[in-house]
Amino acid sequence: MIAKFRRALRAFQPKFYRSVSAHYNPYVTFTNYRRIWLIGIFLLIATALLPLLVVTAFHYQLIQNSIDSELILRTERVASNARRAVTFFLEEGLDALRFTVNEFGYGRLTDPDHLQEILRNLKLGFGGLTDLSVISQQGLQIAYAGPFKLEGRDYSDQQWFIQCRKQNLYISDIFRGYRDVPHVIIAVKAFRNDGSYFIFRATLETERLIQILDSYKSGAYADIFIVNRQGFIQTPSAHYGDIFEKMSLPLPSYSSRTEAVIYNDIGSGPIITGYAYISTQLAHTPFILMVVKQKQGMLGPWQELRSKITWFVGCGILIVILVMTLTCTYMVNRLYQADTAKAETMALMEQNNQLVSMGQLAAGVAHEINNPLALINETAGYIKDLFVIKHQYKDDKELLENIDAIIDAVDRCGTITKQLLGFTRKFDPKIQQVDLARLISEVLAFHKKEAEYRNIEVYVDVEGDISGLETDQGKLQQILVNLVNNAFQAMDDGCILEVRAAAEEADRVRLTISDNGCGMPEDTLPKIFEPFFTTKEKDQGTGLGLAITYGLVTKLHGKIAVESRENEGTTFVVTLPKQFKEEMRENESSSG
Amino acid sequence: MKVLLVDDESKFAVMLSKRLNLRGIDTDYVHTGKDALEMVGQNRYDVVILDVKMPGISGIELQRRLMDMDPALKTILLTGHGSHDDFKAGSAEAVCYLSKPLKIEKLLQILHQIEG
Repeated sequence: MIAKFRRALRAFQPKFYRSVSAHYNPYVTFTNYRRIWLIGIFLLIATALLPLLVVTAFHYQLIQNSIDSELILRTERVASNARRAVTFFLEEGLDALRFTVNEFGYGRLTDPDHLQEILRNLKLGFGGLTDLSVISQQGLQIAYAGPFKLEGRDYSDQQWFIQCRKQNLYISDIFRGYRDVPHVIIAVKAFRNDGSYFIFRATLETERLIQILDSYKSGAYADIFIVNRQGFIQTPSAHYGDIFEKMSLPLPSYSSRTEAVIYNDIGSGPIITGYAYISTQLAHTPFILMVVKQKQGMLGPWQELRSKITWFVGCGILIVILVMTLTCTYMVNRLYQADTAKAETMALMEQNNQLVSMGQLAAGVAHEINNPLALINETAGYIKDLFVIKHQYKDDKELLENIDAIIDAVDRCGTITKQLLGFTRKFDPKIQQVDLARLISEVLAFHKKEAEYRNIEVYVDVEGDISGLETDQGKLQQILVNLVNNAFQAMDDGCILEVRAAAEEADRVRLTISDNGCGMPEDTLPKIFEPFFTTKEKDQGTGLGLAITYGLVTKLHGKIAVESRENEGTTFVVTLPKQFKEEMRENESSSG
Repeated sequence: MKVLLVDDESKFAVMLSKRLNLRGIDTDYVHTGKDALEMVGQNRYDVVILDVKMPGISGIELQRRLMDMDPALKTILLTGHGSHDDFKAGSAEAVCYLSKPLKIEKLLQILHQIEG
């Protein structure tokens, strides 16, 4: 099952995925295509995605920030408005008390019937008022109007009384009164004509205050309530604790202004808290107004937008990865195919080179061996003649057998040399009209990519009047390929190769291939056309390239010369006859 | 039948001429084209067997000159090189060409054909 799956997967594998055959290694430009492919994909995707991701991140941050500041602003506004309302409520109470004190004076306030009437009138105009009391300078309750019997009580050691004496005004925490209804005490200090003073006190129900706060509440995620400076909750809170218990949020630090802050580390998710330390024009109060909004609940529209953006970006990334991977795979595959084709051609050429040199070797062997063989043949034949024709040793069978063996061996040698000579026949010249400019550009096309990769400049200069060159195109091509190959191997990156063709005298053509590569030392120059001489490392060259080139040039009745200086460059000059003539071949053959 | 053998490989020429003489064919030998021209000028030969590759006058050149002297003369070309193309220019005039090392029976057969 797994093997099947693997086989199916391999069908989708690009051709370059398996490594280049070792046979082509010396000829290919790259060997590890998988690495090129991976690097290519990585670079393409990184280049395409990086700006997208950065812009998206910036955008997120920007929206987040603007939403945060918008939320803070809104919370601050609600807190500010509610603060004004709460302050107004308290000031209104205080003002009513001061008005009453100034209007009626100590005498009428301490009359119980009058005080009852004042309470009734204040309840009508003001509402939420539970009782009124007048307390003397010493802390004794002098008059009281309200539901309880509190006359004669001593308040001198109570905290509120001490504070009110000091500050002229007093506003208490909210507390549960005798009837289990939240109350707040407000009191003012007033002076009598004799210079002594008394305190006029009222107890207010907080019903109206809670109604005011509720009217500022907006939405299910908002909470608005009052805590005292110790952090105990004073009016009902929806989420952050029961009334008169400690608030579950941290107490905000003191500020004279309305503030808003974001808390990100609260258990129920990030919240925005607007708060104000409430103080009236004449006195501070123990109250802190809290407006708390849960951020999560207010982000609905933004979250919808964010999920849309995330989808869009995600799809974009997927498409980019897919397209880039396919593009890169296609390009690397094409590169691989071109490189492999080039390597195949070059390997084939190298093989041809070896065949040509083998042929030349065989021809040389055969040529040299045939004459001595002929001599052995005739000598052995003559000995046999002596025996057979002259009848002297006619009956010596063993001798005759031995001589026959010599003749057989010679015969076999002859067969072999004939076969070898037949083999070289394939390499005899085929003469045709040659377009030199085109031939040069075809040969250089083999190296075009390599020249680009290695930043090698190639100059070609073919004189216009070279026409009517008649020679063996294949051999001339082989000569050019070998010399250009040699030059490319000798050159470092960034060197210059020049190929020139010009007419020399009337009937010859001169080809110059020069490079400014590594050059050759003087002592190796005489040896370079010798077979098996090489300066390359083992397995890199056969040492036959220039020997074959020399052989080919000679076969085309041309001449080859070399000039080289170490570290300065090498120039090969090949001169060829414009017309390849048959007689030359005969002369060449008969003189050999 | 009188035969002249021309080959610069002197021992080869000596051996082959001895073998032909043993078989009743009157054979002379020389080692250069120049000597060959002299011999043909002095004596009458039926057949000249000559090597293609020789220093001085080449086999092909020698054959042309011999034909000029005696158009009736028959020539057999020998070569150490196996290429038949080498003979194209001269072989039209030659009876045949043989490559070295050669078989004496084949040479005898050709000579008998010329005689017959």
